[in-house]
Amino acid sequence: MRRPFVGAPPTPLGALAPGTIAMITRTPVRNTNLKIAVALLSLVSLAACGRDGGAGAEPATGAQGQNATAPANAKLVVWAMGSDGDNLPKLLKKFEAENPGYSVDVTSIPWQDAASKLRTADAGGVTPDIAQVGTTLMGGITDAFQPVPGDTDTSVYFQGPLKSAQAGGQTVGVPWVVDTRVLFYRTDLARKAGFDGPPKTWDELKAMAKGMQAQGGAKWGIRMATTPDQDVQNSFAFPWSNGAQIISQDGSKWTFDTPETVDAYRYYQSFYKEKIADPNPATGAGAAESAFVNGQLGILVAGAGESELLDQAGGPGFKDKYALATFPRQKSGTSFAGGSDLVVFKQSKNSAAAWKLVRWLSQPDVQVEWYQIDGALPAVQSAWQNPALADDKRLSVFGEQLKDTNAPPPNATWLQVSDVFGQQVEQMVKNGKDPAQAMKDAQTAADGIGTGS
Amino acid sequence: METTTTGRGRSLWDHVVARRRLLIYLALLVAVVVTLLPFMWMLLGSFKTQGEILRDPAGFLPQHPTTENYGTWFTRLHLGRFFLNSLVVAVVTVVGNLLFCSMVGYALAKFDFAGKRLVFALVMITLMVPGVVTFVPLFVLVAKLGLTNTYAALILPFLTSPLGVFMMRQFIGGIPDALLEAARIDGAGELRIWARIVMPLCGPPLATLGILTFLGSWNNFLWPLVAAQTEDMYTLPVALSLYSTGQIATQYGLLLAGSVLVIAPIVLVFVFLQRYFTQGIATVGVR
Repeated sequence: MRRPFVGAPPTPLGALAPGTIAMITRTPVRNTNLKIAVALLSLVSLAACGRDGGAGAEPATGAQGQNATAPANAKLVVWAMGSDGDNLPKLLKKFEAENPGYSVDVTSIPWQDAASKLRTADAGGVTPDIAQVGTTLMGGITDAFQPVPGDTDTSVYFQGPLKSAQAGGQTVGVPWVVDTRVLFYRTDLARKAGFDGPPKTWDELKAMAKGMQAQGGAKWGIRMATTPDQDVQNSFAFPWSNGAQIISQDGSKWTFDTPETVDAYRYYQSFYKEKIADPNPATGAGAAESAFVNGQLGILVAGAGESELLDQAGGPGFKDKYALATFPRQKSGTSFAGGSDLVVFKQSKNSAAAWKLVRWLSQPDVQVEWYQIDGALPAVQSAWQNPALADDKRLSVFGEQLKDTNAPPPNATWLQVSDVFGQQVEQMVKNGKDPAQAMKDAQTAADGIGTGS
Repeated sequence: METTTTGRGRSLWDHVVARRRLLIYLALLVAVVVTLLPFMWMLLGSFKTQGEILRDPAGFLPQHPTTENYGTWFTRLHLGRFFLNSLVVAVVTVVGNLLFCSMVGYALAKFDFAGKRLVFALVMITLMVPGVVTFVPLFVLVAKLGLTNTYAALILPFLTSPLGVFMMRQFIGGIPDALLEAARIDGAGELRIWARIVMPLCGPPLATLGILTFLGSWNNFLWPLVAAQTEDMYTLPVALSLYSTGQIATQYGLLLAGSVLVIAPIVLVFVFLQRYFTQGIATVGVR
C-alpha cells in the first residue's frame, strides 16, 4: 500500500485535502514510516476539522485549500456508467496526450445495481480512483468519497445538481453531466387550446392541459413522468417552485409539512382530481411516448433523453408537432436535477492525480467535447455558451431550466425517506388523500427515519 | 402411460380414452403456448428496431426485420469474451458442486464420526441464511484474499452449495449399506467406493444438481457484477445489463437479442438433460 505523497517530502502537509487524512487513519498501518506520517497528518486533520466545522454547504476552504501537487506519472482507474464508459476512452486519449505520464483505465459498470457495486467495492477496499455516480445513487455512500480539494471553484457548476454531492456540510464530488425535467408539449393541441407558446404560470399550465383535452381531443392533459420511478422525483418541482425545501438549511430535519409543500401538492393533486392527469397511466415500455405521439396526451414531463425516444416513436415529421418548455413559474420554476457526479474515492492511492483528471473533465471545452461524443449535457455552466449547445433550440430549453433546479440531498436515509414520501404522493394521487394530512404523515414517517447524520 | 390400442378393435372404452387424451393434449397445448409466447416475443422482438418495439399498438411480427441487434453483439461488444467467462465459471462451478457435494453427502450419509450431526446442522443452517445477508462479508473476504477480478472470485464462493450437500446426502442415504460393505470387503478404499459405487448410482440427483447449479451460475448477476472489476471479466448477464439498460432508456432490441443469445445454451442443456432432470426431482421427492 504505497501512497505517492507519503514518500514525497516536498508535499506540504497542509496541502492535503481533509479526506486523504481520514483515509490514512482508516487504513491499517504497516510500516513505521507511514505511522509517523499518520501521526503528523492526524494533527493536521484535527486542525482542519476545527476550521471546516462551520463551512455549511460551502466547499471546504482555508489554509489547507491548496491541492496536493499532482505527480508526473499516474495510472488511474475510472468507473463510468453504462454507455458513457464506452465513449469515455475516446475523450481521455486527449488527456493522456496532454499529460504524457498518465494512463487511465476505464471500466463500464451497468446502471443496474450500481449502488451495490460501489458500496461493496468500498467495503472490500477495491475501489477505483474515480467513479461516475448517478446523482440519485449518491445517497448513503458519500462517506466513501473525498471532499473536493479546497481550491475547487464549485460555482462553475449548475448549483441544483451540485446539491446531490453535498452531504454533511462537505462537497464530496462535482457534477459531471446533468439532466433535468422539462415540459414536452404538443404545439398543435396547445394551439387548439388557445396557447401559441408555452405555459408561463401554474394557472396557465392547468388551463393549457385542460384545453388540450376539451378542445384538442386529448384523453389526458398532462403526464407527470414517463416511468413510475420518476413520479416522485418529478413531483418535487411543485413544492420547490412554491418556495419549499425537502430538508432544512442545516440538514438536520426533513421539511415536508410546510404550508408551501402542502399547497404545492394540493395543486399537483388537482390535476388528478379534475381528471386532467391519469392516476393509473400505462407504464409499459414506450407507453408514455406512444400516447404523446397518438395525440392522447398533451404534455409530458421528461428529461433530455426523451426527444430521441419521441422522434423514434413518432417517426419523421413528428418533430414539428411538439416543443419543449421550462417549468412554469409559481415563486420560481424549479425542476428536478439529475445526472452524474464525479467522485474520488477515499481509498484512491492516486488522489492528487485523480483530482487533476476531474478538473480536466470540468473544463468547459472538454465538457462540450464530451457532449459531442456522448450526448450528455454539460454540468459546467459556461459550456452552454458554446454554439454547439446554445444554437440548438431544444437543448437551450434544458440549458435554461438547469439554471433553476434542485436535487434531493445525498443523505444515507434518503432512499427510505423518499420511499415513505412516495407512498404519500401515491395516496394523494390515487386515493384523493388530503395533502395536509399526507404531508403530516410523511413528516412523521420521515422524522422516524431521521436524516442519517 | 399405458397403451390402449391392442388387436381387439375399438370399443367404446377406447373411444372415451382417446377423447380424454385429446382433451389432455389440448390443455397441454394451451399451457405450452402460454409458456412459449413470451419467448416467441423475445425472439421476434430481437429482430425489431427500437422504434418498432415502442410502437403502439405493438405488432407481433417484425415488419422490417433487422439483424442489427445481433450484429452489435457479435462485432462491437465482444460477445465471445463474455460467453467464455460465463462458460468457464458455470462449468467449473458445476464440476465443483458435483464432486464436493457428493463427497460431503456421502460422508454425512454413510460415515459415523464425532460431530456428524453438528456438521449436518451447520449445512442446514447455511441453507437457510439468505444470500443477501452474507453478500457483503463474502465480498470483503474475497477482496482481502486479493482475488477480485479473477475467475477464482467468480467461482470459489459457489464451488459447493448447502442445497447440493443436502440433496446428495438424502439420495446416498438410500443406497443399501450392504453394497458399500461388499466393496469394503473386496478391499476398496472409501474414495474408490465413492467413485465406483456411489457416483454411478447417483445419476438423477447429479443431473438435477448439475442443471440447477448451471442455471444459477449462468443467470447470476449481482455477484459477477461486484466481483469482476474490468469489462473483460464480465459475464453475460452483466454485459447484457451494461449495454442494453441505461439510466432511463432501455435498448429493447439489443436486450432481447442478448437474451436470446444467453438463453440458447440453457435451452440446449435442458433439452439434453431433461430426462434426468425430471427423474431426479421425482426421486429426491420420494425419499
